[in-house]
Amino acid sequence: MDRRQFIKDVFLWSAGASLAIPQFRIIPSALAAEKPQPLLSVAKGADYAALVSRVLAPLGGMGQFVKPGDKVVIKPNMGWDRKPEQAANTNPLVVMALANLALQAGAGKVMIFDRSCNEPRRCYANSGIQDALAGLDDRRLKMDHMDSRKFVPVQISRGKSLTSWEIYKDALDADCYINVPVAKHHGLSRLTLGLKNSMGVIGGNRGDMHHDLGQKLADLATVIRPKLTVIDATRILLRNGPQGGDLKDVKQLDTLIASADPVAADAYATTLFDLQPADIDSTVAAYKMGLGEMDLARIKVLTA
Amino acid sequence: MVRKSKIPVYLWRRLSQLLFFALFLFLFIKTDYSGSDELEYAVNILFRIDPLLALAAIFAGKTMVALMLPALITLVFTFVSGRSFCGWICPMGTLVDGAAAVIRPPQGTAGNDLRAVKYYLLVFILVAAFLGLPLAGYLDPFSLLVRAFSFALYPAFDFAVSSFFGFTYLHAPDWVNAALEPVYEFLKNSILPFTHRVYGLSLFSLLLFAMVLVLNHWQRRFFCRNLCPLGGLLALVSRFSLLAAHGGNEDCGKCRKCRTICRMGAIDEERRISTADCNLCLDCLALCPRNRIHLSFHRPPLTAGSCGMSRRAFVGTVATGALLPLFLQGRPFTRRPDPQLIRPPGALPEEEFLGRCVRCGECMKVCIGNALHPAFLEAGIEGMFTPMLRSRIGYCEYNCTLCGQVCPSGAIKKLTLPDKHAQVIGRAFFDKNLCLPYAKGIPCIVCEEHCPTPDKAIKFREQQVINARGETVTVLQPFVVDELCVGCGICENKCPLPGRAAVRVTSEGEARQAGGGHFL
Repeated sequence: MDRRQFIKDVFLWSAGASLAIPQFRIIPSALAAEKPQPLLSVAKGADYAALVSRVLAPLGGMGQFVKPGDKVVIKPNMGWDRKPEQAANTNPLVVMALANLALQAGAGKVMIFDRSCNEPRRCYANSGIQDALAGLDDRRLKMDHMDSRKFVPVQISRGKSLTSWEIYKDALDADCYINVPVAKHHGLSRLTLGLKNSMGVIGGNRGDMHHDLGQKLADLATVIRPKLTVIDATRILLRNGPQGGDLKDVKQLDTLIASADPVAADAYATTLFDLQPADIDSTVAAYKMGLGEMDLARIKVLTA
Repeated sequence: MVRKSKIPVYLWRRLSQLLFFALFLFLFIKTDYSGSDELEYAVNILFRIDPLLALAAIFAGKTMVALMLPALITLVFTFVSGRSFCGWICPMGTLVDGAAAVIRPPQGTAGNDLRAVKYYLLVFILVAAFLGLPLAGYLDPFSLLVRAFSFALYPAFDFAVSSFFGFTYLHAPDWVNAALEPVYEFLKNSILPFTHRVYGLSLFSLLLFAMVLVLNHWQRRFFCRNLCPLGGLLALVSRFSLLAAHGGNEDCGKCRKCRTICRMGAIDEERRISTADCNLCLDCLALCPRNRIHLSFHRPPLTAGSCGMSRRAFVGTVATGALLPLFLQGRPFTRRPDPQLIRPPGALPEEEFLGRCVRCGECMKVCIGNALHPAFLEAGIEGMFTPMLRSRIGYCEYNCTLCGQVCPSGAIKKLTLPDKHAQVIGRAFFDKNLCLPYAKGIPCIVCEEHCPTPDKAIKFREQQVINARGETVTVLQPFVVDELCVGCGICENKCPLPGRAAVRVTSEGEARQAGGGHFL
């Protein structure tokens, strides 16, 4: 063995040791340390304004998520030209209460928008959300229609099925993005919850998403990262979703679910429909990508 | 005593023209969803005060059209004050005048050789309408105008403005955008359409409208003098009008300034002013060097033959109008209508619909989904510019009833929301050779997601199929329940295939045709 060969070998071996071995040993413990048990709050009550405050309280209240001066986006589902009682869109009282809390927490700007499926003006108006927010009468509140210029192409580097897509700039730029889906039935994905609601901030031909929808929604969740998910289950749509139209398909639950973990929130919401988290492809796909917890036993549920 | 006001009287006329044109633009922009299901303004009023369209619709339907009663106002107004409607109110006339300022028509084209054409057209239109060939909407000035505005000018204006602000948004520095974006915001909230609109026959509509303006090149107000059938109808009434302008006489010597400047060619060699042609623009009153011309309620004697129609040509026109409809029945689609011809919800049965529809384009302007487009030849050449649904371009919004609200003639009935929900305008069918779950074993059912009936007309079955890679996969395959489908076309519109939709709507089963049941 000459000196040159010796040095080479030392380099190679030490490189192998320093790269491979420590990773093997350190990562599990590091992961365990970084991932505390996700908190999820559930509250029930008929006064929806109060219910929103109650469900957020165990998570530290709105102040935990919205800092003074923040650009806040509240993203309800208002995709359909349906009345509030028909449960196709997020309850306007819930959206209003969230917006109010965000404003009280000192938000610099609160934006509310959705890329609807039916005609946007009809959806904004008939969802009841436009009127509800007008009632707050605050200049920091902006409920504008989507501006087609603001969809920007985004690389989804961790995506398995979706590698790039156009996403709404305001949603990406927000300091605090609050996802407020309504929990309801959906033909293809069985349920539409938090992850599916993100489709309201993307551009392009959304019908293309339906191929391998679960994985695509999980891929999308790697770039659209809500700080807070509040699932509206004040009333849920059991059949003929996602737009319903028949009040016989609507069930009143007076329930809200809130979590900083988008996967946990979706996972828990499946139980309202007598389903399991594993029944929803997007929940499973997102869990597998490490985007959140879907095992109900490992979610800390706080009843507020 | 001051005999004349300081303001020349023609300025009042110009002011009136501007105000009515502004009103026209206002109502045009307001022909849109405004946040509530019912429109706030009678945006279609222009068409309801049009006696030509009213007569044509009444003749065609052989029934009174109560919606168009306001047309009587125009007739009474014309009986009192002559063709001042043409000179002071008509927005098309205003634009023709405006174009004349640019085109600069030759001066002193007093000859009115062609003026009889409008009467022939009028007679032809009315006779043909009565016997089943509806043509009034082709040449009616308001229909021409609104079609050009709706289908061509407004979308082009929107395109120009949006392109400008799109460019500045992307490329201008922030301080420029800080100033420009609020302007764009304001324009979007006030005069721009909510979404970019597209229309069939847009260039053709523009061309017809442009021709009306360009005809100024040969004669000032060429269209109004010679072609406008509404002008012809009003001219017939104004022959007997109470108010009239009185011209000069032999004392004027060689001066024929009035005759030279008259935009309607209404003044003859003897300086007599024809009440059938004069639109009371009052230029001559203001410009007469001797102030000889005046207005009064004392009617001048009717000048013989001032219509300019010959008996021979009149009989020929009536005969043509009467005979032409006979040829309409010999076309293939009378036996089997074009299945692509899907009429708006609430449309009358086809024959009545064609008779009543005045081709004004209001329903297509207001259509919230940009779903209604002017037909080309689908309903025959006389059916051009009538509305039809083009689902791949836009779909009929389930809870919207605007088209029936703006239809000035009742060709599209005004529907209540429950009636609209029950109105079958067509029916969807699947093309399994294209539809992804059938053709390729790929999951989709976007159509089912969007199907708006509370009990979905598109349902699905779980099916095991072998996909292109030879794998056995389980997919949801959609199908249509005929009894539930209303033909709104949202499925065809949202079908994610890039080209032809795999689910398409045809007029099959439409409610307005007698026995229009579904196939059993």
